[in-house]
Amino acid sequence: MITNNLSLISVKPQTPQLSPQEEQDKLLDEALGVVKVQAFQMKRCLDKSKLMEALKHASNMLGELRTSLLSPKSYYELYMAVTDELRHLELYLLDEFQKGHKVADLYELVQYAGNIIPRLYLLTTVGLVYMRTNEHSKRDILKDIVEMCRGVQHPLRGLFLRNYLLQCTRNILPDADEENAEHAETVGTVKDSVDFILINFAEMNKLWVRMQHQGHSKEKERREQERQELRLLVGTNLVRLSQLESIDVEKYKKIVLPGILEQVVSCRDAIAQEYLMECIIQVFPDEFHLQTLNSFLKACAELHQNVNVKNIIIALIDRLAVFATKEDGTGIPQDIKLFDIFSEQVAQIIQSRQDMPAEDTVSLQVSLINLALKCYPERFDYVDKVLQTSVDIFQNLGIKRVEYNTPVAKELLRLLKIPVQIYNNLLTVLKLEHFGSMLDFCDYHSRKTMSIFVLNNALENDTLIPTSEEVDQILTLVAPLIQDQPDQPTEKDDPEDFAEEQGLVGRFVTLMSADTPDQQYLILNTARKHFGNGGNQRIKYTLPPLVFQAYKLAFQYKSLSEEDEKWDRKCQKIFQFCHQTISALIKAEMAELSLRLFLQGGLAAGQIQFENHETVAYEFVSQAFSLYEEEVSDSKAQLAAITLITATVEQMTCFGEENHEPLRTQCALAASKLLKKPDQCRGVAICSHLFWSGKTRATSEEEMHDGKRVAECLKKGLRIANQCMNSSVQVQLFVELLNHYIYFYEKGNDQITVQVLNQLISKIKQELPGLEANEETDQINKHFLNTIEHLKNRMDAPEGDGVSYGGLVL
Amino acid sequence: MLVLVLGDLHIPHRCQGLPAKFKKLLVPGRIHHILCTGNLCTKESYDYLKTLASDVHVVRGDFDENINYPEQKVVTVGQFRIGLCHGHQVVPWGDPDSLALIQHQLDVDILISGHTHKFEAYEHDNKFYINPGSATGAYNPLESNIIPSFVLMDIQSSTVVTYVYQLIGEDVKVERIEYKKS
Repeated sequence: MITNNLSLISVKPQTPQLSPQEEQDKLLDEALGVVKVQAFQMKRCLDKSKLMEALKHASNMLGELRTSLLSPKSYYELYMAVTDELRHLELYLLDEFQKGHKVADLYELVQYAGNIIPRLYLLTTVGLVYMRTNEHSKRDILKDIVEMCRGVQHPLRGLFLRNYLLQCTRNILPDADEENAEHAETVGTVKDSVDFILINFAEMNKLWVRMQHQGHSKEKERREQERQELRLLVGTNLVRLSQLESIDVEKYKKIVLPGILEQVVSCRDAIAQEYLMECIIQVFPDEFHLQTLNSFLKACAELHQNVNVKNIIIALIDRLAVFATKEDGTGIPQDIKLFDIFSEQVAQIIQSRQDMPAEDTVSLQVSLINLALKCYPERFDYVDKVLQTSVDIFQNLGIKRVEYNTPVAKELLRLLKIPVQIYNNLLTVLKLEHFGSMLDFCDYHSRKTMSIFVLNNALENDTLIPTSEEVDQILTLVAPLIQDQPDQPTEKDDPEDFAEEQGLVGRFVTLMSADTPDQQYLILNTARKHFGNGGNQRIKYTLPPLVFQAYKLAFQYKSLSEEDEKWDRKCQKIFQFCHQTISALIKAEMAELSLRLFLQGGLAAGQIQFENHETVAYEFVSQAFSLYEEEVSDSKAQLAAITLITATVEQMTCFGEENHEPLRTQCALAASKLLKKPDQCRGVAICSHLFWSGKTRATSEEEMHDGKRVAECLKKGLRIANQCMNSSVQVQLFVELLNHYIYFYEKGNDQITVQVLNQLISKIKQELPGLEANEETDQINKHFLNTIEHLKNRMDAPEGDGVSYGGLVL
Repeated sequence: MLVLVLGDLHIPHRCQGLPAKFKKLLVPGRIHHILCTGNLCTKESYDYLKTLASDVHVVRGDFDENINYPEQKVVTVGQFRIGLCHGHQVVPWGDPDSLALIQHQLDVDILISGHTHKFEAYEHDNKFYINPGSATGAYNPLESNIIPSFVLMDIQSSTVVTYVYQLIGEDVKVERIEYKKS
């Protein structure tokens, strides 16, 4: 028989020292041993119907639960073993009672058991049997036992005893409404059950809290860990309350919740409060929570300073958000102003907790925003209110700028990202008046992060921006990407990152799309102002898309020319805008890009044909020319540029002879002045097309077919080719020129004769064998063979109205 | 062998991205080669193409940022020599006879060019010419109705089946053209 006499422990153990865990295991094993023996005896007596003796053994068995030496984990195991065995007694008694063998005064008898622990366990067991066989005893017995358990004030023992009480009574608690209850006096109503459980709960909580203060301060951590292990025992009371079917919203509101909250608030224990508040949220239905928000949230304000109130509120909000958006659910009742209630109460909570860290207040705002967005998606004003509140909070806390990567910054970014993500419509986000103010609290990095986030969101959703006011707002919002910021760090950005970010802005320009051309013009001007402040590094990304938007707008005006008598002048203005914009790029040393943009403008003006378009087109092409002459110095770039200019002019039909002639001449002249001979040759060959398929107003927009000038160009090309010292290059150029000759011959240029072709062909045939045998020569050979084959095909199967190759020598 | 042929995206100068319906069709893993006619215009688009296939060939368009792309390129796929050139250098732009000059020079069976933002696929003197158009439907001053398009070539020995994908309104329409090497 084990005694828990403390004096025994002070004796030096004869056996070697055991670790604390091993000590526990040993004690537990010993206790379980006793339980086994006594249980066996008890059952044997019951078999022989020797009740009194059985009770004695039961008492002995229960005596093991009087120990103070076991840890909560071990005590739990012992408790499970004992209560398991106790079931046999319970079943025996039930059986007896049902058979009608009334054991007189058993209830009284058991009260004379020696120690209080066994006494109360037996009383509970017997009481249960009574209640199950006679309904009318319920009310009294429940009241009785829950009071008597006060006799055990030791936290661990008391908790398990009361847990036993709760478990025993789980199926027999009266659950009838007051109005409908029969024999309410004796059987009891749901109110009696509530009273019973609330008392049990309050007592258990007190015991649980008392554990916090037991023992040495240096063992605090272990004690708190042990308390956490036992929390379910206390929580089960709340579960039991939730299982009472007759509890409706009214009863919950009037008697259940107030009872729970009173205990939770008054116990002033952080661990208990944090657990129990979350327990309430989990255990009771959302319909109940909706009707008791004010009381619950007020209680939150009164909780211990160490309680993480934020998590409780967030848990509640998240649950209600799910409830609100459940597909076949009832949703939030109209009369419950969910957002208003939370908004107000959260403000109170924040105010009542002076040392709540800033990031926690932001987390609470995040959960409020989530609530607004999930439960009231059309109410932008709710979302805006949360932002406004956040601004106020920050101002009250004296926060000016939040540093990147701090907890506050992270929560702040979360707060700002949510409306962007949920609405997926930047225009809706702009309606939030306080979004910008909130963004201002971010430091440079966070503001840039948000800017990128916002633009990406617009691009992913193809959100078109239809007014200049909105463009203005957005470009202001994403200012870190548009222009240098006063709080920008001095280190240069990573060039790849910078290019990607500016690419975002460039792509965003294509989203600027108004419903009317006039509004679109305003948009372009607004954007231009913002981009103009961006500096030379940025404009090369942001201005070109703007120029193309302007060209597109000009075409739009043309298509609506019937409806707008001012369309000519508007187009003129647009081209002026483009001119000025491209000039800004020139100042930023983007000569080649500007050249190309001017050429594009020329083409556009030529197509749109607004009043005065010829002057504008000429101006744009000559600007391209000037850039070519003054700014393009690399020979490869020069060939590319002059080729492009020539090709562009070839396409334009809007010029009169007065304007077209100088352009043609300039192209040919420029081509002939290229540095390298081969480039000259090729340039001049390209120019020949200007004189053939070029069109002017003078030719009524028909191809001019100046065969003579074409032949002159090609002849010049031959002369230049002859001047090449590298024979491989020379032959290559001859073959290319031959191809050009054939092209014009087939187009019907009578200045090109078969003789010319023959001469060139024989020249090439002459020179080819002399070339060094290498890959380049092979290519030239193939080129020549393909050309000859082309001629053969034409000769064998002449096209209907094609030219004749009579006299061609191959 | 699947070869993706596309170009004239003009991102970000004239367009913000490929049409969503095209993006859905272009999945990595199925395409062996990509031939791009140029005018991407930035590295971002190039990187995107690299995610679709590792073998990507780009020639220089008049607005490409990267000046190191070649003016012309010849790629051999199966039995076909394929020439690639943006086309702004060919005068007049889009002229079949002028393009033929390039074919002679590069000695290719198929010549791919762009710049006009207009899909073309035709035979000329027994050689095949493809213009994939603009994959983004980018603005072109000389063309008023631009339809986003790209081309997928399925090359099997001496036959190439060309599929052109066009975004007409909300729908992607596909057409099929066959070319046999003679």
